[in-house]
Amino acid sequence: MKKKLLLLISLATFAYAAQAQDTTKADPPLMISGSVDTYFKYDFAKHGNIPTSFASDQNSISIGMIDLALKKKVGKAAFVGEMSFGPRGQAQSIPNDANDGNSYHVQNLYVSYDVTDKFNLTGGYMATFMGYEVIAPAGNFNYSTSYMFTNGPFQNAGFKATYLFSDKASLMAGIFNDAWNVYTSVSQVNTFGAQLMIAPVKGWTAYINLLTGKLSGTEIDLTTSYQITDAFKLGLNAADFSAADAVGTGGFTGVALYPQLAVAKDVTLGLRGEYFKTKDGTVTTYGPAPGSSVTAFTFTANIKSGPLTFIPEVRLDRNKALSDGFTKSGGITPTKSASQFVLAAVYSF
Amino acid sequence: MAYLYNMKKLLFGLVCLMCSQTASAQKELLQFDEANKYVYYQVVDKPGLTADTLYQRGLYFAKIANPKNKPENVVANAIITKGKFLVYTGSSVVKKEGGEISYTLFIETKDQKYRYKISDFVFTPYKRDRFGNMTAIPGVEVPLEKLTSKYSQKEADNYLAQTGAFCQATGNSLKQHMDKVSIARKAEPIKKVATDKW
Repeated sequence: MKKKLLLLISLATFAYAAQAQDTTKADPPLMISGSVDTYFKYDFAKHGNIPTSFASDQNSISIGMIDLALKKKVGKAAFVGEMSFGPRGQAQSIPNDANDGNSYHVQNLYVSYDVTDKFNLTGGYMATFMGYEVIAPAGNFNYSTSYMFTNGPFQNAGFKATYLFSDKASLMAGIFNDAWNVYTSVSQVNTFGAQLMIAPVKGWTAYINLLTGKLSGTEIDLTTSYQITDAFKLGLNAADFSAADAVGTGGFTGVALYPQLAVAKDVTLGLRGEYFKTKDGTVTTYGPAPGSSVTAFTFTANIKSGPLTFIPEVRLDRNKALSDGFTKSGGITPTKSASQFVLAAVYSF
Repeated sequence: MAYLYNMKKLLFGLVCLMCSQTASAQKELLQFDEANKYVYYQVVDKPGLTADTLYQRGLYFAKIANPKNKPENVVANAIITKGKFLVYTGSSVVKKEGGEISYTLFIETKDQKYRYKISDFVFTPYKRDRFGNMTAIPGVEVPLEKLTSKYSQKEADNYLAQTGAFCQATGNSLKQHMDKVSIARKAEPIKKVATDKW
């Protein structure tokens, strides 16, 4: 037993020492990351009013999703596979919703190859490059989402090439399936997408995005954020969407500001102020009726305790017209305003 | 049974001790300089070699250590190069890139000796982006000395230990180049079996 013990300790020592020496040279390990989220929401009209994504259940302690991502890179080749289980990552994220509403949902499933240090090729099903907010709750500051996020693409399947001019500029161009948020195309691979990234000064990044196709319509998007001081960050998202002729007429235009201030080591306060205007036409959005608008203010705190973030949030939305969809308690009398409280907890790993 | 149980406890304790001591030892490889900044500093004797020979070898090392950055020659027989390395969070099962640490490597040579200093450590945290990749958070930079003002003691110790390990590995690699020891692997003899004799 003593011999075995000594042998085991020796092996462990050598293995550990060898690992330490190789830390900077070996391929990165298989990366497992993700998050788990749960929330409580209370709409002050006593029923759900605000139509944006997630945090949908009224007066309920509900679950978001467990999000599991795997990434491995060997040499120049890499893959990412990310799946989510739970309402946020299943029926509320669109794919398969029409079939059973309860299938698991692939968030990312792609392979990529670094042709050179500056040139990368990627193909598969990817989170969209458009917009400020994302599906995974760990990637957002606010727990509820903006109208622009809800009405924009979530994912795009396709093939893209990215060229990095320098740390301050890169350009992506790609060809994507004809429809958003589906694993397979309707019939064509004819949506063109492009993204220009610029980083004019340290801490400031801006993405100018375009996604246009005969079926998916055309969206132009600006997403930018600037870490102005150690404590203060300002984000901005502006988007314009026009539906494709094949689908109808209309679309939306929106702009949102995201100021965030770190008030303590583990506490950051933030505001999202959004103006969302729907265009006249036949296409309806998750928002006010065509030709109307909504203004939404969301006050959010992020309180961190290690990997766990508590997110208390108060949201006030005001539609332009009484007929834009909000109703008072009882669900019959129309009103212009809606308000809700959310307390969410997100654990990231 | 009691004997086996005690042995298991002893084994577990020893492994834990070994891991914690290794991490602690790597962290302690770093020292504070006069300006209270973390630094890894060594003076190495190299009898029989001139300052110029050592400089050329040091310059070659600086070029291959950070191929993207051209080494600078600020004073005679001195080289400065800048680079960065990845640090990881979590255990081996859920290990992922926690950020990158930039540094400055200074090498200076004299006849029969050289010295090197790794300093100016600045941590840039990573965050998972929408595509599942860990990427730098723009505009957030934390000097290594101030890690505990932003992160827990455990996280800070982990990054300091990895910095110590990186510096040690860099020092060893530099020594190999200064010694001009061939680091190419020896070709192992191919094992062949005679299948015609049986």
